[in-house]
Amino acid sequence: MNALLRRAGRLAVVLAVVTLITFLLVAALPGDVALDIAGADATEQEVAEIRAEIGLDRSLAVRYLDWVSGIVTGDWGQSWRTGERVWDAIAQRVPASLELMVLAQIIAVSLAIPAALLCARAPDGRVDRAIGFLAFGSVSMPSFMTAVLLILLFSLTLGWLPATGYEPLSAGLWENLRPMILPALSLALVEWTALMRTLRAEMIGVLQENYIALARAKGMSDRRILVVHALRPSSFSMITLLGLQVGRLMGGSIIIEQIFGIPGVGRLLVTSVFSRDFMMIQGCVTFFALAYVLANFCTDLAYARLDPRVRGLGGKAGAHG
Amino acid sequence: MSLLEVENARVAFPTARGLLTAVDGVSLSVDEGRVLGIVGESGSGKSVLSRAIMGLLPRSARTGEAMRIRLGGRELGALPERELRRLRGREMAMIFQDPMTALNPVMTLGDQIGESLRLHLGMGRRQARDRSVELLAAVGLPQPATRVDQHPHQLSGGMRQRVAIAIALACDPRLLIADEPTTALDVTVQHGILDLLQAQSRERGMAMILITHDLGVVAGRADEVAVMYAGRVVEQAPTRALFAAASMPYTRGLLASIPRIEDAPGRRLEAIGGRPPDLVSPPAGCAFSPRCAHASDLCRRQAPGLEDGGATRFACWHPALEAAE
Repeated sequence: MNALLRRAGRLAVVLAVVTLITFLLVAALPGDVALDIAGADATEQEVAEIRAEIGLDRSLAVRYLDWVSGIVTGDWGQSWRTGERVWDAIAQRVPASLELMVLAQIIAVSLAIPAALLCARAPDGRVDRAIGFLAFGSVSMPSFMTAVLLILLFSLTLGWLPATGYEPLSAGLWENLRPMILPALSLALVEWTALMRTLRAEMIGVLQENYIALARAKGMSDRRILVVHALRPSSFSMITLLGLQVGRLMGGSIIIEQIFGIPGVGRLLVTSVFSRDFMMIQGCVTFFALAYVLANFCTDLAYARLDPRVRGLGGKAGAHG
Repeated sequence: MSLLEVENARVAFPTARGLLTAVDGVSLSVDEGRVLGIVGESGSGKSVLSRAIMGLLPRSARTGEAMRIRLGGRELGALPERELRRLRGREMAMIFQDPMTALNPVMTLGDQIGESLRLHLGMGRRQARDRSVELLAAVGLPQPATRVDQHPHQLSGGMRQRVAIAIALACDPRLLIADEPTTALDVTVQHGILDLLQAQSRERGMAMILITHDLGVVAGRADEVAVMYAGRVVEQAPTRALFAAASMPYTRGLLASIPRIEDAPGRRLEAIGGRPPDLVSPPAGCAFSPRCAHASDLCRRQAPGLEDGGATRFACWHPALEAAE
């Protein structure tokens, strides 16, 4: 209970800071939104009216407090451009973004785990070096670069997968997944390497443990020792990293959504920035911050599931949760 | 034929300074149902020897070509890894020194015991679990039916060592190697663990190698004792005979350094002067000669062989054949 309160307190502080910074940054953008809307040949009177209409005539403090209290009560404001409710606009685009990021993480983890197992089995061996070399190349390439190369290969040359587009899940699972594979892979090819290196390092340590020697003495095969005995106690750092990487993933998804034409929150943010849709920008950034905090909360929960020693400390709440 | 026959065991590790010879030509045997104590200070090669028997040496280890290890007549070195795995845990099992780290922290006790049962004996999940509870009860763990679903961190060190014993006993092995099973435990707990090992060994007719640096541990528990120094067996004798009359000065030194309850208060404990030799560049001749009061030129020039004198064997040029004072 105490831990939960502390977490909630921390969340409040993070959100306060994030909203304030976002608000100030957007307010500091050069130019005048009201002037943009009114057009070049509008009178001063007209501009002032528009300014009052979208609430820009009030002081910074009043505007900030008005917006933040709205966030808390569920009213995230309204786009001056389209008239759309900000929350509705985000909620509508969340599925695409979420799918992209979850898929990217799944691909990254399913690349990282077998690779790390192979590496840790014989550190500095031939396999370890080959995988290390591959990983180095993979992480050295930014995701937008990987994306372009993947499109070149799989869409233009081979014609296996579409280069752009998005289909909702209602169109069928495969129809929905098909255009998502390349964008998710572009993100994953950057993310898997750090996961792999972390897991490899921790696993090399774990394989020195006495309980691994005991497992060998019990006659367990190498594969079983790696997968059943060593993987779980080796995965704590990787799990932490998985949560931290959500931040990088969101940053990457903004570009990737743009490249692949995926109607996600990242794309909404980019469009909003270009059109100076300040309410939408503030909403998107706040949403990203919320998502990040939530992802790391889930990481902590995963920790408790994986490590029985943490379960005991966290009280009964974590034991069956 | 003995259950376990070790012939000419030689294990070395490459180090930055050169080849470190941890086990240097050890031969010994253990008969079915008998208990052999291996005594030696740290670095004497006793743990490496036990791992060589189990086939659990690290990849970097180099073994001698003449080394032969036979279990029940089967030459282990000639077996493929698959066959060897089938013997490990089933025919021969091992208990490690530190029970705090010998159990997997994220697996339940039942899973860790049941794993062997399912792999080696082909038991189903339920059957393995029921058998695990029985084993936990057999090693004296209270409330075994509850404990079986617990994790190691919920148990004390002594309790964990009992679980490690349950794991070792799971498939009724013919040989159990206990490598310093009580060294990491409180003195008050040590006795209980040793008694448990002895009782189980008798009950199951299971042979046991009891490795320790403490002669007091093997007294009254081992049928025979082998003393190791610098990778070699320097003396081997039936336990009673060894305690009554050790021949080798090193063994006598070890015996003299056991505190006795009848000693006068304030009496200084005997200690063997000097330090164990450097195994990368061991001294010429007898490895113990730099620390030995009886060492002669012969000792410093040529290492004595292990003389086969029936039940008692020793490697020394100047054995004390009379009873210890």
